[in-house]
Amino acid sequence: MRLSHDWFPEDIPSNVVIGERSWLHSSYVFLHYRSQRPCGLRVGHDTGIYIDSFFDLGTCGEVEIGNYCTIAGPIIATNNRVIIGNYVLISREVVIADSFVAAPAQLSDISYAQSVETTTSIVIGNDVWIGTKAIILKGARLGDSVIVGACAVVDFEVPPYSIVVGNPARIISLHKQKVTA
Amino acid sequence: MSNNININEFTGDWDYNILPENIWLSEGCYLERKESFERFRSQINPGLIIGRGVQVYTWTVFSVEPEGRLIVGNDSILVGAIFWCAESITIGERVLISYNVMIADSDFHPRDPELRRRDAIAISPEGDITQRPPLETKPVVIENYVQIGIGAIILKGVHIGAGARIGAGSVVTRNVPPGVFVTGNPARVANLQEEYL
Repeated sequence: MRLSHDWFPEDIPSNVVIGERSWLHSSYVFLHYRSQRPCGLRVGHDTGIYIDSFFDLGTCGEVEIGNYCTIAGPIIATNNRVIIGNYVLISREVVIADSFVAAPAQLSDISYAQSVETTTSIVIGNDVWIGTKAIILKGARLGDSVIVGACAVVDFEVPPYSIVVGNPARIISLHKQKVTA
Repeated sequence: MSNNININEFTGDWDYNILPENIWLSEGCYLERKESFERFRSQINPGLIIGRGVQVYTWTVFSVEPEGRLIVGNDSILVGAIFWCAESITIGERVLISYNVMIADSDFHPRDPELRRRDAIAISPEGDITQRPPLETKPVVIENYVQIGIGAIILKGVHIGAGARIGAGSVVTRNVPPGVFVTGNPARVANLQEEYL
């Protein structure tokens, strides 16, 4: 499929699913996309994926993005599964990656497409807000409503409603008590 | 609307011979975009040496000043490094540099406030660029097998020993011994690796 507004002369890869009323700025985001999975990228409805975003997925890479997300220019580099919830805001120059020295998957890697099990490396909950230049690495589990400060480096589990900042990141507060019934 | 876009210019399939003569390329290089060289303005020969099998991805920028020389060793991978080179940056072999990295061998403006004001006036839109105070530079050396993490910043005069790893988001202001892992701002040694080659 070709986006009608696209400046880059490429099709959207066939294993990409984009929901209703979602916006993708260009097929350029798939410049280094090598996913051979049945569904390499699944985007929910009413989600925007804007300029400077990239999906540098390896052959086993899978990314799921929920509904009503604003994806304003991160690089997602993974050969595993990355799950992003609903109502998530991700700022510019964010990197979400399996390794602290992530790189685009190389064409020569394609041979092992079916032989490696895909595991979930990063989970980002609902209503999460990720500040500019933050780095989210393998092992990160961001609970619902977490705020990640600018330039924070996170590779661990962050409980819901936390604010996490710094390098290495630390949890500085809860911004709201979770309502318990 | 996309008729005038040539996809080969985004996938390393363009003619590398159009690069200036003072850029020396070795065999088997992969240079994804020629825009990486748009800010290359070195006047010395060679101003840039790229070793065998080096891969240079989209986000890389070689910003080399007229007196600058940048050397990249064999089989290194440059994903998203911005090089600000006024004098000398040397990258060893099999070095891996990840996304959004910045490496500079100068601070590009004087530390002294009076000189810095003169610099600000000289580089203003209508200023006289020849009146800039001289840049203070210190060469950057990155030895073989070094891995530089996402978003790291390497500042002037830094020497990174062989096999060292620079954590994501680090700001490296001092020399890094061989084989260690450094992280943070400013970067400090996190733990020693037993083997690094």
